[in-house]
Amino acid sequence: MIKKIGPVSCGLFLAAGMAAAEGTDAAVAILQQKCLACHGDVSGMSGLKVTSRENLLRGGSRGPAVVPGKSVDSLLFKAVAGSGEVLRMPPTGGGLPANEVATLKAWIDSGANWSNASTVAMNQWWAFKRVARQVGSANSIDAFIDRKLKSSEIPASPQADRLTLLKRASYDLLGLPPGKAQIDEFLGDQSPQAWEKAIDRLLASPRYGEKWGRHWLDLARYGDTAGFEQDPYLLIAWRYRDYVIKSFNDDKPYDRFAKEQIAGDELFPDDAEARSGTGFYRVGPNRDMLFKVEDVNLVEKRTDMVDTTTSVFLGLTVGCARCHDHKFDPIPQKDYYRLQAIFQPAVADRVFQEYNKGRQYDLAETSRSFRLYQMGEQAARINAEYADPLKAKKLAALPAEAVTALQTAEEKRTLDQARLALDNAPKIRVSQEEIDALMSDEDKAAIASISKRLLRIFTGYGPPPMSPAIIDIGRDAPKTFIAIRGNPEAHGEEVQPGFLTALGGGDVPEPPLHAQTTYRRKALAEWIANPDNPLFARVMVNRIWQFHFGSGLMRTASDFGGRAGLPSHPEMLDWLAAEFAEKKWSVKSMHKLIMMSAAYQRSANPTAAARAQDPGNGLLSHFNRRRLAAEEIRDASLQVTGELNLKMGGVPAVPPLTREEMFGMIGNPADNWSVSPDPAEHARRTIYTLQRRTFQQPMAQAFDGPDGVMSCPQRNESTTAPQSLALLNGGFTMDRAKALAQAIKTPAEAWERVYGRAPSAEEHAVAQALLDRQITLTGSRAAAMAEIVRGLLNTNEFLYVD
Amino acid sequence: MSTKLTRREILGRTASGFGMAALAGVLEGAETDLLAPKPAPLPTKVKSVIYLHMHGGVSHVDTFDPKPALTKFSGKPLSAELAKVIKTSFIHDPSKAILRGSPWEFRPGGKSGLPVSDLFPHLREVADDLVVLRGCYSDQFDHAPAIYLRHTGHQLPGRPCLGSWITYGLGTENHNLPAFVVMSDGSTKSGPPAYGAGFLPAVYQGTVFRGGESPILYLKNPDGVSEQSQRATLDFINQIGRIQQRTRPDDSTLDARIASYELAARMQSAAPDAVDIAKETEATKNLYGIGEEHTDDFGRKCLLARRLVERGVRFIELISGTNVGQDWDEAHFDLTGSHARMTKKTDKPIAGLLKDLKSRGMLDSTLLVWGGEFGRTPLSQGDNGRDHHPYGFCSWMAGGGIQGGRALGSTDEFGVQPVEMPVDAHDLNATILRLMGIDHLKLTYLYQGRDMRLTDVKGLGEFSAKLLA
Repeated sequence: MIKKIGPVSCGLFLAAGMAAAEGTDAAVAILQQKCLACHGDVSGMSGLKVTSRENLLRGGSRGPAVVPGKSVDSLLFKAVAGSGEVLRMPPTGGGLPANEVATLKAWIDSGANWSNASTVAMNQWWAFKRVARQVGSANSIDAFIDRKLKSSEIPASPQADRLTLLKRASYDLLGLPPGKAQIDEFLGDQSPQAWEKAIDRLLASPRYGEKWGRHWLDLARYGDTAGFEQDPYLLIAWRYRDYVIKSFNDDKPYDRFAKEQIAGDELFPDDAEARSGTGFYRVGPNRDMLFKVEDVNLVEKRTDMVDTTTSVFLGLTVGCARCHDHKFDPIPQKDYYRLQAIFQPAVADRVFQEYNKGRQYDLAETSRSFRLYQMGEQAARINAEYADPLKAKKLAALPAEAVTALQTAEEKRTLDQARLALDNAPKIRVSQEEIDALMSDEDKAAIASISKRLLRIFTGYGPPPMSPAIIDIGRDAPKTFIAIRGNPEAHGEEVQPGFLTALGGGDVPEPPLHAQTTYRRKALAEWIANPDNPLFARVMVNRIWQFHFGSGLMRTASDFGGRAGLPSHPEMLDWLAAEFAEKKWSVKSMHKLIMMSAAYQRSANPTAAARAQDPGNGLLSHFNRRRLAAEEIRDASLQVTGELNLKMGGVPAVPPLTREEMFGMIGNPADNWSVSPDPAEHARRTIYTLQRRTFQQPMAQAFDGPDGVMSCPQRNESTTAPQSLALLNGGFTMDRAKALAQAIKTPAEAWERVYGRAPSAEEHAVAQALLDRQITLTGSRAAAMAEIVRGLLNTNEFLYVD
Repeated sequence: MSTKLTRREILGRTASGFGMAALAGVLEGAETDLLAPKPAPLPTKVKSVIYLHMHGGVSHVDTFDPKPALTKFSGKPLSAELAKVIKTSFIHDPSKAILRGSPWEFRPGGKSGLPVSDLFPHLREVADDLVVLRGCYSDQFDHAPAIYLRHTGHQLPGRPCLGSWITYGLGTENHNLPAFVVMSDGSTKSGPPAYGAGFLPAVYQGTVFRGGESPILYLKNPDGVSEQSQRATLDFINQIGRIQQRTRPDDSTLDARIASYELAARMQSAAPDAVDIAKETEATKNLYGIGEEHTDDFGRKCLLARRLVERGVRFIELISGTNVGQDWDEAHFDLTGSHARMTKKTDKPIAGLLKDLKSRGMLDSTLLVWGGEFGRTPLSQGDNGRDHHPYGFCSWMAGGGIQGGRALGSTDEFGVQPVEMPVDAHDLNATILRLMGIDHLKLTYLYQGRDMRLTDVKGLGEFSAKLLA
């Protein structure tokens, strides 16, 4: 059974904590939540440990903390009440709320009893306990949910209509609306298996990996550029993107998927696909272009590796422990650096997707470079034959002091000379046109021949058949030290690689003598992706749940720590976690399990009782309506107009943007937003478009797209005026509207394409009225029809999943 | 504007202190208007900030921090001890580089006699309104991390910037305009993350104003769509929305979406009106240097800043310099040229802005902050350059009720490091928040298990009391 400790921030107890949060349990819970970080068994600041009655009676350097029966004489009470005699505790956050102070007072006055049941240390936090499977019926999801609804006397909403259901399933699994054929097939199938068959069809679609791969890329803070100055390209980061999409489409067992990403190189050294999983550590931001501070860059890289691994796979925010023991979770600073030691030997690597092709590419690239050096030199020599005399002539025309200034080496020029040089440099510049005008036919032919050879080298030039990856530098790793207060230059104690104490701890074993690497990440991967790890399964099933229902059973999907509180349905979370392991970590099985539940199939309209008593829908009496994500808006728009290009994988596509849209982009757009030459590329799914880390495409920026800097477990879902402006006035919507207007003849067809249904009589009348009005205004039926489409693409029925 | 946050989420995220109090009123209503104006928790008269960022890094020893010793020892190397402090970008070996005195004269300005170099003759006239902070320092000597640090309190991108935090804390007085406006010369070395909302909801991010009469992206109707056509289509969207809402009763999310179109329509008229300076007098335009070759562009931005403040916009950032054109950072190879150019573009407009705000009685309620991501080396790079120098530099503040005509803090005789009153990005940001009536310790947002703050665990050198004294 899960210990009921409510998170007490704001003085609000979550439902589950509320019932038991009284008397002893409540007081101890407050001590654990608010005091344990600094006054735990290990931390014990000022000698005080709040971990048992004995420790409180013994107190710290200022004397006993608690005098049973006498709160007014107890230092603990004086501190939390802010009496002024001692420093107010807790020192940050403005003190405890009054009700908690009252709870502690009452508890001390009643004798400060400390029952055995309540001596839970933080490493007894529910999320750190092993998964306990409670019930085991066919689909227990509804049993768990209905039990709570029943006890709250909130009726569940009825099942949604079938078109809504199919749209919901299609967006959830594919990120796209269903086409006409899919709708007809589903609506025409009256068999009891129709829903299950529809789910199976969706799960088999390659579009599935593109939708769920995007969720994963959010977590993996994926980007095609490095960020920071110049925001340079990470040339083959997209191989990792394709790896993720394929892994989801293949329903790769989640434990295997995790292991490949953490340590594919050490666990599956002969499997190129598995090894490319470690690209996980190469697709985040990096500061390598700031080459004067390699030391800082290295520290940031290690930090990113530890933080991303723990938040993605374990739902823990260990980052706090970089500078000090974690305040809210039992993660001492030492544990943080034990984890960092695991990544200490990791360096960049490339994985040849096929060994021979990779090697051949390498060889060809070397020979190509050598030939380029020669051609470059030859072209420069020919140019110089004309440029040098031209320049000499121009120089001769300048005043003597300017000539001297220009001929003096830059570092030797006086201030006056520097100015002169600056002013006169443009006057002696020789343009290519001037050279070409003088060039002999023979030299022109030589240049033409170089151009031809260049073209021959580069026609069809493609990216290397390699993936970004990591590997250890060898069997022996550099030492790792605790960084005092997080300052990497202040070396504390040396630490050995190991795991989190709160989750059982353990050291990384020495690698065998013949090993080429340290096997540290292998040990980490096996420790994380393990049914005995209490967080591994819980965190992932919660993420899957979140992406179906809009929020997780734990609302903080990447934080299962002490601040996060309890899940809304703790037993169900554990049941799902156990089921996940049972089903051999098949993510697709979990989708099906969830989607077959009645809870998933409910209407998005709440009942009156639900609206009044459970406005946040924590009890799941109805479905949570959600706005389409930025990618879904773009992809669905292209799909309903029939333009979407379903090509998979490869070099990022770069759709054209207007100058205004590119305003503020780092550097020159011609280099940094180099538009794909093939127009078909512009209509590809958004996941395949270029993801610059310092520049979001306008749609992504307006509609809460991820910035690719920090792991993003859940996107915001905001509603803003700039979104409306983008959809209404942006060239993208207008282009889609025109494209569809070309293909249809009646407003009813627009309804079919955009909503997948026929218009009601009332809607039809409204549409006809607009059509007539726009024909009058524009004099063009096509333009009028485009206005109808533009309108529909701006409506809630298109923008929301019911 | 609203986001889909449940009451519980809002309570949970603003776990304690100020955020909670500020949002308490919002929770009464059915909707959560994240930009609703909120009273400042601490007493203040300041309503808006104009944040002037000199992109690329301004030389402190050539502008507001006179160094006679630097002139005296010009041509000599720095002591080995001080040279060790300096890590440089282009200067190969700081111990072998030579000191270089400023090529510009410093002269006393105003009644206070605050020294300002000849680069800023117009700002010198309003020296009595400036508090120069001479002890600024940073630990990031590359542009992007230094810009992020100054703006967001963190050297990595992805955190909310000062403007976003202030908008989150105080909301906006005018829903018809963005609460937080950015005007720049285009591309910067940090890109948009310097004015992004990070983990805060997107409503708090800086909205970039482009030049021209349609300053906000997508403000204009699509090409070829007339005003009547646009209105007809908007009405259609509304009608269809209302019909469809009948089958989805009482959904505030959908209401908010419909409302956002109305707001967008209001923005379509409010924004062009805000940027239309036709009705400003010639005298006012002249004050900002509008119509003059060098000052026209930045002058317009400064005048717009005043007009936005008048309309209740909370935070306005003006960025001078771009990495694909004229920039302060050209000081690497051309100190004299770059600084002469950039001050020519900005001196008169900024001084004009100060004068204009003052004459309209708006200076006490508007805080101006000026500075770059770092200073420039007292050492010469080549024979006419200065390298990046985060170890000591200056910024200035004006307005917001602070007592001007002073310099606070100091650097050593060569301008290498702070000697008195060192101020880092966190101290400065904490001070700006405090002047806006916000305790930087209490403006928090729960993200990834932590109550995040603009100043992280720092900002303890908050110095607003010294500014007001």
